[in-house]
Amino acid sequence: MTALTVIGGGPAGYVAAIIAAQRGKQVTLIEQKDLGGICLNEGCMPTKSLLESAEMFEKVKHVEQFGIQIPVNEIGISWSGVQGYKNGIVKKLVQGIGYLMKKNKIKVIKGKASFLDAHRIQVDGAGKQEMVEADQVIIASGSGPVSLPFAPFDGEWVIHSGQVMSLPSIPSSLLIVGGGVIGCEFASIYSRMGTKVTMVEMADQLLPGEDADMAAVLHKELEKANVQIYTSTSLKNLNAKEKKAVFENKDGLHEQRADYVLVSIGRKPRITEIGLEKIGVLFSKQGIQVNEHMQTNIPHIYACGDIVGGIQLAHVAFHEGTIAASHACGQDVKVNYRAVPRCIYTSPEIAGVGMTEKQAREHYGDIRVGEFPFAANGKALILNEQIGKVKVIVEPQFNEIIGISIVGPRATELIGQGTVMLHAEMTVDVMENFIAAHPTLSEAIHEALLSTVGHAVHS
Amino acid sequence: MATEVVMPKLGLSMKEGTVSVWNKRVGDFVSKGEIIANINSEKIEMEYESPIEGTLLEIIVPEGQGVSPGTVICYLGNPDEKVGGNAKTSPNLLAQKEEAAAVSVVEVEPVIPSNIQSNKREIKISPIARKMAEAAGLDTEMIQGTGPQGRITKEDVEQAIAGQSSSESSSKLEEEMKQRVNQDVEQVDRIPVSGIRKVIASRMQDSLRHSAQLTLTMKADVTDLVVLQKQMSEVAQKQYEVKLTLTDFVARAVVLSLQKHKSMNSAYVEDQIHVFGHVHLGMAVALDKGLVVPVIRHAQNCSLMDLSNKIKLLAGRARQGQLGSEEMQGSTFTITNLGAYGIEHFTPVLNLPETGILGVGTVQDTPVYKGEELQKRSILPLSLTFDHRVLDGAPAAEFLRTIKQHLEEPFSMFL
Repeated sequence: MTALTVIGGGPAGYVAAIIAAQRGKQVTLIEQKDLGGICLNEGCMPTKSLLESAEMFEKVKHVEQFGIQIPVNEIGISWSGVQGYKNGIVKKLVQGIGYLMKKNKIKVIKGKASFLDAHRIQVDGAGKQEMVEADQVIIASGSGPVSLPFAPFDGEWVIHSGQVMSLPSIPSSLLIVGGGVIGCEFASIYSRMGTKVTMVEMADQLLPGEDADMAAVLHKELEKANVQIYTSTSLKNLNAKEKKAVFENKDGLHEQRADYVLVSIGRKPRITEIGLEKIGVLFSKQGIQVNEHMQTNIPHIYACGDIVGGIQLAHVAFHEGTIAASHACGQDVKVNYRAVPRCIYTSPEIAGVGMTEKQAREHYGDIRVGEFPFAANGKALILNEQIGKVKVIVEPQFNEIIGISIVGPRATELIGQGTVMLHAEMTVDVMENFIAAHPTLSEAIHEALLSTVGHAVHS
Repeated sequence: MATEVVMPKLGLSMKEGTVSVWNKRVGDFVSKGEIIANINSEKIEMEYESPIEGTLLEIIVPEGQGVSPGTVICYLGNPDEKVGGNAKTSPNLLAQKEEAAAVSVVEVEPVIPSNIQSNKREIKISPIARKMAEAAGLDTEMIQGTGPQGRITKEDVEQAIAGQSSSESSSKLEEEMKQRVNQDVEQVDRIPVSGIRKVIASRMQDSLRHSAQLTLTMKADVTDLVVLQKQMSEVAQKQYEVKLTLTDFVARAVVLSLQKHKSMNSAYVEDQIHVFGHVHLGMAVALDKGLVVPVIRHAQNCSLMDLSNKIKLLAGRARQGQLGSEEMQGSTFTITNLGAYGIEHFTPVLNLPETGILGVGTVQDTPVYKGEELQKRSILPLSLTFDHRVLDGAPAAEFLRTIKQHLEEPFSMFL
C-alpha cells in the first residue's frame, strides 16, 4: 500500500485525506492546530454562527411587525451566550471531522510539518519530534491574514479575523480596514450587535470584486445600521497608544478612535516554514505552482486549497483537494473553475456565480442583463425582506447564461440554482420553460432570467 | 393576396429539396394540377403540380438551389397582384401551405417505422456547446467530450473550432500551393453539392461512420449457370418477351440465401437487431446524376421471371426519373452490380440500416483445375459487405457460400 501524507487538516487537506483513504492509500494527516482549519475554527463556520445571532437579534427587535407581542425593551444580547453557541458549533464540527478521520483509518499527527526531503517530513509536536515517510504528499497548509507593514497584528488592538470573532465583550467601536468580504461580514455582525463600526476601503466601492450596483445595496443597508463607510480612502497611521487611526481621502485627513482595529486586507498562502525550498517545489508569493491536476513540478507532490493562491474559498478547496487526491490515486481528473459560487454573508446577503456584469461587458462587449427586484416577489414580502434583486447576465450570440448575481434574502442559498445553470452550461431557451415553485424567493431568479429575453411576467 | 407555393415534404426524412427545372416562367398562367416545376430530393425527381390556379408572379428559389421543405419557392395569384408585405409566413400558415402542397404529391408512409430509421447515437452535450457547434457547422459526433460521462462541454467545442480553423488554414495553404503550381494550367469547376448528390454523400458517410462494416470476397463458378441462362433466356424471350440476365439469377440466389440465413436479412437500429420475415430487395441503379436503389418488395414471393420483370421495370423507371420515393424505401438487403464496367471484387458500402450488401463483379473466363485437368470456366467475383455488429465473419461466410452453391448448382434454385 502506498503511503500518502497530507499537510494541513483544513477543507482541502481533510477532504484530500478522506478521498485518498477511500481509494486505498495509507494516509497520514499532519495538523498543527485543530482539524477543520480556518474554515471550521476561525472562518466560515464561527462567523456564520455570529451572524445568525446578530440576525436573530435584529428579527426579534422587529417581531411586532409579524403580529407577535414581546416586551421589546427587555430583549438584549448575552455575549457569552453568543460565544457559547458559536463555540459549541465549532466543537461539534471539529469532532465530526475527527470521527471521519477515524472512520477512514487516517492517522492524524498533531504538530508542525516541515519537509526534510521530497519523501520525508519532520513533525514537531508538543514536546516530541516525529519523522513521516511518504510516497506521495499533498500540501494543504492554507493561508494566513495579511498584515499592515506599519502595524502588525498585536492581538490587543490591531487584530485579524480569527481574533475579532472571540473578543471578550461586544466592543463599543470597531474600525475595519478593508471593505472586502471579511470586512463587510464583520461590519454586518457588529453593527447589529450595537457596535459603532467604521470602514475604510481603498477602492471606490465595498466588495471591489462584485458589481457596483450589488455592492451599493449593501452599502446603503450598512449605513442604515449606523456604519460609517469611507471608500477611496487609505489608512495612513495606527497609533496603538491612543487607539487612534489616521486615514486620508480627497476630503483630507481623518482621525478615528476605536476599541479595536480589524485588518482584513486579504489572505496570503502559508509558504514559509514548511521547507518547500529544500525539496525544489516551485512557488512564489502567490503560492505553490500547480498544474490542472493540482500537481506541483515534483510529480509525487500535490498542493491544493489556499496554498496555491487563486480563489480562496473553502468550497474551491474541497474541489481542489478532491482533484489532487483522485489524481494521486491514478484518476485522470482536472480542476474546473467554471461555476464557483461566491457567497458573502452580510445583511443583506450577496452571492454570485460566473461573471459579474462588469467582467461580462469587458469580455463580450454587448451583453443582455435581466434583473428582478425582491420588492416584486411575494415570498420576500412575507419575510419582510424586500431589499435587493437578482441579476442574470446572458451572452448575446447564443443566450448562454454566463453570470448570476443576487443581493437580498437567502442569496447564498439561492445561488445554488445559478451554480447548476452555469455548471451545466445552460442557455436561456433551455431554462425558459423551467417551473419555479411558488411562492418562493427563487422565482426571482427565473423572472430575471426571462427578462434577459424580455419575457418577464411579474415586473 | 398572392398565394405562396412551398417546397413540398416528400417523406418524413426529407431535409432539403431542389427545383431542378422551372416549367413555367414569371407571367405564365398556371392551371390547377399543371406541372410548374420538377423537384429533386432524396434520390427522386418528381413533378410538382400547382396546388391552385393563377399566374406565376415571382420565382423565389432558382433552379439548382436546395431549400428545406416549407420554404416558399414561388408566388401565384392574379396578374395585377403584388407580391410582398406577405414575405414572412407565420408557422401556422406555413403548415397549412405545406399540407396544401402535399396534396399534389404522393404522401409516402415509410416502410420501416420511423423509430428504427434513425441510427444515430444520443450525444451528451451541454446546451451552449450544442448551439456553438451548430453555429460553427461542426458535427457533434466528431467532438471528443471531456465532461461527465463524455459530455461535450463548451470548452470541447471551442477546441474543436480552433482545431477546425487550423486544419482549414492548412488546407487553404495546400490549395494555395496547388494553385501556384497549376496557375492558368488547370481550371477548377466548383459544383455545389445539393439534391441527390448531397443525399448520397451524407448517407455514405453515415454508413461508414455508424456501422462496423467489412467485406468478404468469394468466386463462384458460373459456367453451368451461363449455359442455363442462355437456354432459358431464349425460351423467356419467346414466351414472355423478357431477357433473362445473370443478374436475375444472382437476385434469385440472394433471396433464397437470405431466407436460409435470416440474420443477414436484418437491420441494426438503436441497439436492436431487427430481423425481417420478408425480403425487400434493393437493386442499385447507376444514373448520370447519381445512384438510386429501387426496391423489389416481397421478393421472397417472386419467381425468377417475376424478379426479372420487376428488376427491368424498376430500372427503367429509375432511368426515366419516374420512381416514387415509396419505390426506394424499405429494402432489407441490396445488390449492386459493377460487372458491366469490368470490375471484379470491390467493397460496397452498406445501405444503412441494412446488414448486408452484395457486390457483383464481371464474369471472366478463367483457367481452373478440375482435378488434374485445366479447364476454361466462367468465374463470377462476389463481394459481400456486412455489418459486424449484427453477425460475425463465419455466418456471413456461410451466407456467401450458400449464394455460391446456388449459382454453381443453378437447378437448386428451382427446387
